[in-house]
Amino acid sequence: MDLDDFLFLLRGVPATLSISFLSFLIGFVIGFIIAIIKEQNIFGLKYVAEGYEKFLRGVPVLVIMLLFHFGFGGFIPIFKDPFTSATLALGLRSGAFQSQIFLGAINSVGRQQMMAALSVGLNRWQAFRHVILPQALIVALPGLGSEMALLIKDSSYSFILGVLDLTKHADILRRATRSFLFPYLAAAILYILITFPIANYLDKLGSKLKNKYGLR
Amino acid sequence: MGEVVLEGRGIKKWYGKLQVLKGIDIKIEKGKTKVIIGPSGSGKSTLLRILGLLEPPTEGNVLFKGRDVYAEKLDLNKIRAKIGFVFQEPSLFRHLTALDNVKLGLRHVLKLSEKEARRKALETLRIVHLEEWKDHYPAQLSGGQQQRVGIARALAMDPEIILFDEPTASLDIELTWEVIDTMRELAERGITMLVVTHEISFAKEVADEIIFMDDGMILEEGPPEKVLMNPKSERAKVFLRRLLGV
Repeated sequence: MDLDDFLFLLRGVPATLSISFLSFLIGFVIGFIIAIIKEQNIFGLKYVAEGYEKFLRGVPVLVIMLLFHFGFGGFIPIFKDPFTSATLALGLRSGAFQSQIFLGAINSVGRQQMMAALSVGLNRWQAFRHVILPQALIVALPGLGSEMALLIKDSSYSFILGVLDLTKHADILRRATRSFLFPYLAAAILYILITFPIANYLDKLGSKLKNKYGLR
Repeated sequence: MGEVVLEGRGIKKWYGKLQVLKGIDIKIEKGKTKVIIGPSGSGKSTLLRILGLLEPPTEGNVLFKGRDVYAEKLDLNKIRAKIGFVFQEPSLFRHLTALDNVKLGLRHVLKLSEKEARRKALETLRIVHLEEWKDHYPAQLSGGQQQRVGIARALAMDPEIILFDEPTASLDIELTWEVIDTMRELAERGITMLVVTHEISFAKEVADEIIFMDDGMILEEGPPEKVLMNPKSERAKVFLRRLLGV
């Protein structure tokens, strides 16, 4: 494996990063909404949210990707695009996990803070928005870092749909060079180089802010 | 008798099968300081939370300036803004500086402008002698300072009354005094206060009236000298003897 091969491999990084970041954002929004639905005990919707979590956490993400792309792709045009199918599959599943991160973080802030906020005259929503949420987001940072790392790694499944991500490039390289070891080894190292700093940064940032504000 | 700011009538509270309050009648008049004493588990904190509208009574009525809060379905948030509350547990908003803790309600409840809220918050921090600590986060303040910021946070809203739930109970003895002194100053300013405390010297010197509670009931009430020196009930006698160490 020479420099050109390595540069070729790098061409897969943008797709890997875009799938991961986009699915993280989708998961962030969904996870956040589910956490609020469950925390506020919004009647009826709570069961929908729980069903959603159970389903998406119980099914392998690869199966969801295949279902979206080959299953739904037959009659829903947007799923014909492998990138979209992969991103949505990862994003929807991530929502089912990020909801747990948010809910745990919200609960960790504690009811004393809510009571103090109400005592000042804030309504429940204001108390949540100005007191609970900012602290919960800090507590959630390390968990969100791990989730991001997981998405970067799991985005590799998208190569089965034909997305030209890092794994797919390694696979192409393996065929072209007939080298079975180095393409995957190089890809593995690249995955670590991408995931570690992100997860580590969010973990450190979370700890730093938690100490500063005396959060648990 | 002066204007009654806050009143509880026949307040009863159950937690499941456990009855914590067994019919409490209490009135706090404008400008007065009322102190509640009593052993732990006597229902003092529960009573305070109910009067502060932080939880509803199972039975009975809470009246704010003569209006029945729950029966008339008044806007709880609006009235809570007029009832200050200082908690036993650390309750400052941990992600906000001392100044922003005081400002939050001014901005979002009283809807003051940023400039007005800042001015008012600084002025209130000055009253509790913490102006120089305005940019510190709660974690960077001592327990006593945190409680004083908590007092400022309540005071800044121009409340009709401030409720104190054992504000010094979780503090070291040397930090207790700064909080007690601050409360003393508020009483001198004519702030209406209802205080749950074990600080008998505060009760003796500042209270206009003392209530002794035990087992969810009011057993004694009256001026300090009467309740502290001459309690009628056996339980109050025992409690005071232990507390005063005589």
